[in-house]
Amino acid sequence: MLDTGAGSDPTWWRDAVDGRRDRARERAAGGVPVVGYVGADVPGELVEAAGACPVRLSGIPGRTSAEADRLLGAAVDPAVSSVLAQLLDGDWRFLTGLVVSRDSQASLALFYVLRELRRLEPGLQLPPVHLLDLLHLPRASTTRYDAARVAQLAEVLAGWTGTAVTGDGLARAVAGARRVRSLLRDAQRLRRADRPGLSGTTALHVHGAVTAMPGAEAAERLGELLAAAAAGPALPARPRLFLTGSAQDHDRLYVAVEDEGWHVVGEDHDRGDLALTVDVPGWAGTDEIARAYQHRGPAAATSSIRAHAEWTAAEAAACRADLLLAVVREHDEAPAWDLPVQRERAAALGIGTAALLRQPYVSRTSDVRAVLATASAATRESA
Amino acid sequence: MSRLASATAATAHQKQWFRSIQERVAAGEPLALVNADAPQEVLKAMDIPYVVNQWWASVVSAKRQADASLQVLRDRGFPDHSRQYDAISLGSTSLPPETAPWGGLPEPSIVIAETSGDAARKVFDLWAERPGVDFFPFERSSAVTAPARWWELVPHRWEEAYGSERLDLMVAEIEELVSFLEERTGRTLDVGRLRRVMDLVNEQAEWNRRTRDLLAATRPTPVAVNDTIPGVMVPQWHRGTEWAVDAARRLYEEVAELASSGAALCPDERVRLMWIGRGLWFDLDLYRRFQESHGAVFVWSMYLAIAADGYPRHGDDPVRALAARFAGFTDQLYTPPWSGEWYVKEARAHGVDGVVHLVADDVPASSFTTRALEDAGIPVLEIRADNADPRASDPDALTAAITGFIDGRLS
Repeated sequence: MLDTGAGSDPTWWRDAVDGRRDRARERAAGGVPVVGYVGADVPGELVEAAGACPVRLSGIPGRTSAEADRLLGAAVDPAVSSVLAQLLDGDWRFLTGLVVSRDSQASLALFYVLRELRRLEPGLQLPPVHLLDLLHLPRASTTRYDAARVAQLAEVLAGWTGTAVTGDGLARAVAGARRVRSLLRDAQRLRRADRPGLSGTTALHVHGAVTAMPGAEAAERLGELLAAAAAGPALPARPRLFLTGSAQDHDRLYVAVEDEGWHVVGEDHDRGDLALTVDVPGWAGTDEIARAYQHRGPAAATSSIRAHAEWTAAEAAACRADLLLAVVREHDEAPAWDLPVQRERAAALGIGTAALLRQPYVSRTSDVRAVLATASAATRESA
Repeated sequence: MSRLASATAATAHQKQWFRSIQERVAAGEPLALVNADAPQEVLKAMDIPYVVNQWWASVVSAKRQADASLQVLRDRGFPDHSRQYDAISLGSTSLPPETAPWGGLPEPSIVIAETSGDAARKVFDLWAERPGVDFFPFERSSAVTAPARWWELVPHRWEEAYGSERLDLMVAEIEELVSFLEERTGRTLDVGRLRRVMDLVNEQAEWNRRTRDLLAATRPTPVAVNDTIPGVMVPQWHRGTEWAVDAARRLYEEVAELASSGAALCPDERVRLMWIGRGLWFDLDLYRRFQESHGAVFVWSMYLAIAADGYPRHGDDPVRALAARFAGFTDQLYTPPWSGEWYVKEARAHGVDGVVHLVADDVPASSFTTRALEDAGIPVLEIRADNADPRASDPDALTAAITGFIDGRLS
């Protein structure tokens, strides 16, 4: 049963993110296959078309383990190490299967570890795991490769759930995902308004929550949120900050930034608005789904420096951002290479840049405060 | 024991060859800079001069100019903790002529690399910012499947090893590379020439296999691994040439002569060791440091072994065979269970008593290599090649760790 109207309350979205594992487990206990996924390239619509509820796994601050670090190696993004720690602890044992996409080296390392553990340590009862090796160079050869890999994924999912990915089922799932993306774009407009109707922190929660529930439920809750936000008072106008760097799969950074009086008006990572760049057409089969994910907006780990920097700067300008803030985690290699060019492109559009580099999984609030204070002073000076 | 004559000859050849590259570029020919895991054989077949990025980085490093090279990039705000080795060549172009090694790297007009990891391509994106430089990227597909005993499959049954999807992708990319090169250089690819290049690479790999098998079977070991490394690696940068085949053959003949004459690196050989991981370039003497004190000899490094098992690809279609050489090349060394199985096979063939495993930060899931060896009854000492483990960069600490390993688990 849905809690009618619950989605109108921003705290519901935060709780939905925090409680995503419990909700997924309840669904599984109720007989609904639940398929977990890791990475930005897994098409949730395909999982739904195979009769399962997709749940994107996320790291949890504080949930680490020395064993996970040892298995993955010393230089793996702690967000992924936290996911492995949860899997080793049996948190996700109820999953029908787990799909890992190669959207980053850390995701790929996680897949290799899980495949080996499944082979060597059946006692861990890890779910079946499959790698979706979806690549991103803008070439026809990559499109053909991706199409083959997505078609294989459809077969694997059908094997796990017993539900074949058929034309009708796929059409319904694609339509549902398109509806969710359309509503998320409406939410994006509210967030980007001169007097925002949605905070950056809530937007992050919304993006996170919709990756852990069926499309129909996500659409219903989003409708509630948008109606309430349109009817309610706008948030006060604040200096606007566009976030780049590492993907943020928890809200600590957003909370820290907005506690300092800033509005996180947008971001270029796939746990936020970058997810909206996936454009699956309504008539899509698996080939078109593959193409849509191949050509999704540029992520640091899978795009050129120039493509990423230009996209970031253009989006920051579209958001009328006052500041571009880069927060890059230790062992997340790619964003640091993009930053100097992002800085140049943003400066050309009149936007200043601040950076926190080699960050832990949770940045220290004092560091966030300090970098924002410095940026504020610089902005005032230039004004 | 002195260095192998074949290794010395190979190193001398390298300087001569590099001078010829400089002369050709000065005369107006294009230069390609290519990453080690990209298919250089196409360039060889099209007679386009090329330099391997990692090789040039090793030259700059050996001349102690790496830090100065990288400083140029740091000054622009690029990271000082990521892809440093990959970036040395780019930074070296800013070295003053008087300090540039070997007269300096001529300006390339073409750079070629694969999109491995999260940031490998970024360095090449920066190359492409330079006027007149074009970048051709290759995808790095992943090992979706894990066939057993890859080394038995890859010479002929490579389609089984890598799967048609990965090979279709790389064949298409190689064809696109050829068009890219033809457009920029005016040269064309003669498939018959590429077939000849592939044949030569296979011949070279066969000589390396003989050398590896001979060293595996010979007790005591007749040569030091830090001599076989240059003896193997320098010819690798010239794969597809008669010279490289001859160099691999000379290495074999020299090792065979030493073996048949009963030469011993350490006559009192009691402990045979295997070194897994990248070479310890800053302290190559380490490989021989335990001979007198413990009768312990390093008899294996990956450079000869992968040259033996990792390169041969036979088949009627030279483009597809070439794709099969590179589509999953790094899987052979680094992806479990491909890698672990191979290291166990090599450890057993060489009769090693123990393994020193230099665990690199950027190698995913390397703990399974250690586990595979330990499960096979072969003791492993893990050294973590990151800042948290001073044994990886401090020769004294490394020596102490290996001494403890030999005196402890291997005694």
